[in-house]
Amino acid sequence: MNDEQRMLADMAEELFASLGHTATLENDWSSIEQVALDGLLLGEDDGGFGGSWEDALVVFRIAGYHGLSLPIAEAAIAAAVARRSSARGTIASHTSGEVAGGRFTGSISGICCGEGAAFVVAPSPAGGSLVIETAALGLEAHESVAGETRHAGTAQDAPVTLVDYDVFAMGALARVAQVAGALDAALARSVEYANERQQFGRALGKFQAVQQALATFAGEAAATNCAAMGAAQAMGRRSAAFAVAAAKLRANRAIGVGTSVAHQVHGAIGFTQEYPLHQLTRRLWAWRSEFGNDAYWSEVLGRRIVARGAENFWADLTASDH
Amino acid sequence: MQTFVTERLVWPETASHLREKVRELVARHGVEDPVGRANSWAKPDPQFSRLLGAEGLIGMVWPKEYGGHERSQMERYVVLEELLAAGAPVGAHWIADRQTGALLLRYGTEEARRRWVPGMARGEVYACIGLSEPGAGSDLAAVRTSARRDEEDWILSGQKVWTTNAHHAHVMIALVRSEAGSTRNEGLSQFVIPMDAPGLSIKPIIDLTGGHDFNEVFLDEVRLPASALVGQQGNGWKQVTAELSLERSGPERYLSSMALLVELIRHAGWDRSEQVENLVARLAAETWTLRMMSAGVAAKIARGEDPALEAAMVKDLGNAFEQAMPELVQAVVDVDPAGPEPLGLVLGHLLQVSPSFSLRGGTREILKGIIARGLGLR
Repeated sequence: MNDEQRMLADMAEELFASLGHTATLENDWSSIEQVALDGLLLGEDDGGFGGSWEDALVVFRIAGYHGLSLPIAEAAIAAAVARRSSARGTIASHTSGEVAGGRFTGSISGICCGEGAAFVVAPSPAGGSLVIETAALGLEAHESVAGETRHAGTAQDAPVTLVDYDVFAMGALARVAQVAGALDAALARSVEYANERQQFGRALGKFQAVQQALATFAGEAAATNCAAMGAAQAMGRRSAAFAVAAAKLRANRAIGVGTSVAHQVHGAIGFTQEYPLHQLTRRLWAWRSEFGNDAYWSEVLGRRIVARGAENFWADLTASDH
Repeated sequence: MQTFVTERLVWPETASHLREKVRELVARHGVEDPVGRANSWAKPDPQFSRLLGAEGLIGMVWPKEYGGHERSQMERYVVLEELLAAGAPVGAHWIADRQTGALLLRYGTEEARRRWVPGMARGEVYACIGLSEPGAGSDLAAVRTSARRDEEDWILSGQKVWTTNAHHAHVMIALVRSEAGSTRNEGLSQFVIPMDAPGLSIKPIIDLTGGHDFNEVFLDEVRLPASALVGQQGNGWKQVTAELSLERSGPERYLSSMALLVELIRHAGWDRSEQVENLVARLAAETWTLRMMSAGVAAKIARGEDPALEAAMVKDLGNAFEQAMPELVQAVVDVDPAGPEPLGLVLGHLLQVSPSFSLRGGTREILKGIIARGLGLR
């Protein structure tokens, strides 16, 4: 981390720890706006912070660590893509329909916290992304399995702006960063619990079977953090198609191992509403589907690699270092 | 908690030049045998080692005074991953380049450095590691091979086992008990032993594929001069532990099965099944991630840190990945693992040798113990 990122991390750590998983848009969004985190990825010329994807990774990861349900990543991406700093925007994962002559007819779903957002950035059916005013979408709300608000909406001949960004990939990278944080948090909680909880006259953490399971979990959390970093670096080079696919795929796989060890180590207490493990694990399960499940990214990545051929695999992998 | 502190990877300016150079050398030398490609860092090929030595690609980070090239650790890392990814036969000099040369330069006497290191850098002098013994496998502190003083000399007696490529090596670094009556990790020292020393004998151990990498090495009253002591007398355990970080973190801990992935991609080129493509994606995502992790550890070592915990995680994850790969491929591709197709041959080889991946250089259980301790358990 450079000095600026360390300051960003300290600020995010303090703020997100105090907000915690009970923070709501209604009560707490102003505290995010106060420190301009919604403008994290927006260029300085457009009134933003002008941060890199590596800066964003620092913040999104800590948001995941504290189980924050505020749409910080979504707002930061939307602002950067639409180049708007005046009001909160958000992003969506799915679009079906048609764009013709700058107007969109169809439906958009997987909108994160759409209510109260001024605009939505969604994948465009013709490639790139489209920006649409939320007022043009009749929103229907539902909750993700983690209790996070998601919306779907339809538009009829609504004006849109097309932009040359892949909002789906950006959303995927944001989720990878959040997964990295949430896995580390669930691991920390599990280690703490294993060292405290006594059974058979000793701490759970003294049992070799428990130690080995947590060590396996640690490897998965470490892999996710490294994948997030690799993809953030690649995004900065604007050559991230391979890296984002690989990172989301890797993060998705880590979620299964991590959440099952976390719950197994905690035993029945981890299954209660009262105990603060599910704020992490339920989010992890929801995020595994959002912005590309394993099948989606496998297809993208597998097709690309096979089309390039065996002889190019390693050369391609190393060519994107710079 | 962040178990693996990530940082932006900065590759050396010279990386693409070095990659081109290695690819050109490998192409010129030829790596046609698919099973050989899957056996890259175990397969000795002195001719190729000498070629790499002449091109300045061994002992890259060592001082020029000892035949090295004073390049950076990350430049060396680039060369290593290129060699392994291509499946080049680097087994002859691998251990000397990875740890023995570095150990001698750090702890060896001036006489030992002058005698061994320049030849290692030329790709002509090879080394083996004398750690395991019949009674000391994972429990390395149980070593019993002894060194006793005879005036200025040392007399070594005992037995080492699972010594890879002892029959090709010129020199062994052995961990032995130099203080009679000492126990566990006290009273241990490292010695540099020429493989042609009188009293040293080698007996092959044939592995389950019929291959010969392993050996037993017997030391029967082997007389060594005082200069054969490496480092401080009694400091052997600490020196070995530091050496193991080098042994555990390299790209060879996840690239051993790369030949299988490459053959699988080739196969997928005509077998357009969704299952095969999905498997390619999964394995590629894992490879890409492990590369980030392994290079991250290399960068930490380059700065003089000792990332023992991160190194253990890379080896554990890397081995688990390499070990899982043959089974996953076998499950989705209908190919005879006895050959003659290259994919089948590589698969058949790795099915049989992959159990060793989580044994050599520290078992999975030992590594997970190190990780658990690093997490604050125990």
